[in-house]
Amino acid sequence: MGSGNWSTDVYAARASYRASTGASAFAYSDGGATAVHPDLDPRGVTVRESRDSADHPESLAIGVLFDVTGSMGTVPRTLQAKLPDLLGLLLRKGYVEHPHILFGAVGDATCDRAPLQVGQFEADNRMDDDLGKILLEGGGGGQMRESYELAMYFMARHTAIDCFDKRGKRGYLFMIGDELAYPKAKRREIARFVGGEPDEDVPIAELVRELQRRYDVYFIIPEGAYHSGNREVKDFWQELLGQNVLYLDDLDAVCETIALTIGLAEDAIDLGEGLGHLAEAGSDAGASVSRALARLDAARAPVAVSSTPPGLDAAGPSATTRL
Amino acid sequence: MGHVIVVDLGFGDAGKGTVVDHLCRAGAAEVVVRFNGGAQAAHNVVAPDGRHHTFAQFGSGTFTPGVRTHLSRFVLIDPLALAAEADHLRALGVPDALDRLTVDGEALLTTPYHRAANRARESARGAARHGSCGMGIGETASYALAHDDAPRAADCLSPARLRRRLAAVRDWYRDAFPGGEDVPGADACAEAFTAFAERVRIVGAGHLHALLRAGNVVFEGAQGVLLDEWHGFHPYTTWSTTTSANAETLLAEAGASAARLGVLRAYATRHGPGPFVTEDPALTADLPDPHNGTGRWQGAFRVGHLDAVALRYALEVTGGVDGLAVTHLDVAGARPDLRVCHSYEMDGERVGRLEAGPPDLDRQAALTRRLLAARPVYTPLGDPVATIEDALGAPVVLRSHGPTSSDKRADHFRTTIDLSVR
Repeated sequence: MGSGNWSTDVYAARASYRASTGASAFAYSDGGATAVHPDLDPRGVTVRESRDSADHPESLAIGVLFDVTGSMGTVPRTLQAKLPDLLGLLLRKGYVEHPHILFGAVGDATCDRAPLQVGQFEADNRMDDDLGKILLEGGGGGQMRESYELAMYFMARHTAIDCFDKRGKRGYLFMIGDELAYPKAKRREIARFVGGEPDEDVPIAELVRELQRRYDVYFIIPEGAYHSGNREVKDFWQELLGQNVLYLDDLDAVCETIALTIGLAEDAIDLGEGLGHLAEAGSDAGASVSRALARLDAARAPVAVSSTPPGLDAAGPSATTRL
Repeated sequence: MGHVIVVDLGFGDAGKGTVVDHLCRAGAAEVVVRFNGGAQAAHNVVAPDGRHHTFAQFGSGTFTPGVRTHLSRFVLIDPLALAAEADHLRALGVPDALDRLTVDGEALLTTPYHRAANRARESARGAARHGSCGMGIGETASYALAHDDAPRAADCLSPARLRRRLAAVRDWYRDAFPGGEDVPGADACAEAFTAFAERVRIVGAGHLHALLRAGNVVFEGAQGVLLDEWHGFHPYTTWSTTTSANAETLLAEAGASAARLGVLRAYATRHGPGPFVTEDPALTADLPDPHNGTGRWQGAFRVGHLDAVALRYALEVTGGVDGLAVTHLDVAGARPDLRVCHSYEMDGERVGRLEAGPPDLDRQAALTRRLLAARPVYTPLGDPVATIEDALGAPVVLRSHGPTSSDKRADHFRTTIDLSVR
């Protein structure tokens, strides 16, 4: 009825785990790759799609884009480690029934090898594979800017999401970083990294307006990151996104923050319930998430009276911020 | 194919590993979920190219690239043995087994202290030992019943709490077994367990639900139904629910269901002490198992004839099956002297059915005493597949004629579950 085949030596085990840690979580990047993985290359992509299907009749698109340059160090690895928790929380607690999650990475189009990487919207652990293919740029320029505008351009004009297109329900877009964006998406960079070329540069405020028609857009600034204490960064994003800028004092809590933000926005929970779910799931992130979301929660009450009925806001920029 | 639960209808060693390997290799499942037992499981799989691995905590489908393993909350996790098993898999050319593994944060942890306690207790039993594997599985389960702060997988994410809980187990061991073997300190143990948590993804219950929605899952049972903690022949049992009950619980929580596949050999085996009515020393001598020798803690590997009485009892306590997988048919083909036992001579009467009931260890102990004195009534085995289908009233849907996946034959035309390959 079984056996004890494998060594149970405490020192050997520690050495074994340590020796193999990090070796393959980002196999593509850690393997020495220097260019964007073909699966994540946005160039020439018409649209990344989140479509309803028999399995997922009411899909909900969730985009998560994060800075992969040096200053943000561990975020991608944390995201990958905690990804099943994110999906698990969303599903288990019924925040969202059919989430489709897309991962993307943002660098600096003026100097990076991989200024923009965007996976597919996935409903299952294939999103894991996308994360594994992300090229971790490291380094990073000294100009305190990353090309978020390029990522926003892609999400605004090269995604098709059934939740909105068919049902008038906005998806979610989370960006995670500690730097400014450039003020405009430059037509040359669009041509080079995305494909197609608009007649002129697109100002970031216009991209935000376009995006907010179809997505609830959030920017998460991890407090532990290099530039995150910077007032200019906070002011920049707050001016664009208002209260949808979240300050997170523990990078490890990023998945939980995203899950609870969605839970709150979907009106599935209040903050207290969500924190209860985190505790139940054995997460230590509660305190950090609580601090990050306290303001959102306080603003949640008006949701029921101020949100635009589905479909009515399709013609132009929403007059009200949904949260 | 849908989800499948694989349980062993005997005392273990029927070939669950090779059946699970086959299902994954044939593309019928992408994820293996373990739902009982722990590091003492020993599921031997031989790849078609000859590589052999004894799967203990990794799912037996791990040789197939991309197949994932999820250890549910019913599994007892031994992070130390897990590292050694991963090392062996790496040596066999499977470098990413740890990347394909997830562990439920609620799962109990087996520590060096549980293992030392297990060995100390079993040594004290002397000749009356229970056939434990010496891996601390029973001690892990019993410690958790008595201590709310028993260490669990998620604790590895909280170093201070982990350290505290490990120290408590160590103190308990030292108090209970002052003469017991030396054990590592709590700090060293905590370091290794922390390294485990940095390397292996620890997840919530929602992860399994997502897996069940994303593709076909095979639930791999450990040990055998006749060793079940409540339905086995007490005290020669394992501290684990070996029926399909845990798997059914996990499925129900996710709103899913699965077909049930019972695995048996064309003859009977038992590793370790305890009742074995159809044991035949001649078969034990002639049919040694390449992967099951005499264990330091477990004792000898024993072989006997097909026992329809015990198998029917196993079917009853596990709630029936939708299909059967019969292994070692190549051995049966080479041994025309194999027999089948349809009834026992027991307490002066002929008995074809053993009484099952709700958990009652006194009743099980009484049954054990009767079984130890029971004698088998044999008829020739004949065609093993037809004999088994007749005796158990369930269709044989998978036949195994050798150690590797290529020796398996799916037989899906007459069955309720389709095990054919895609």
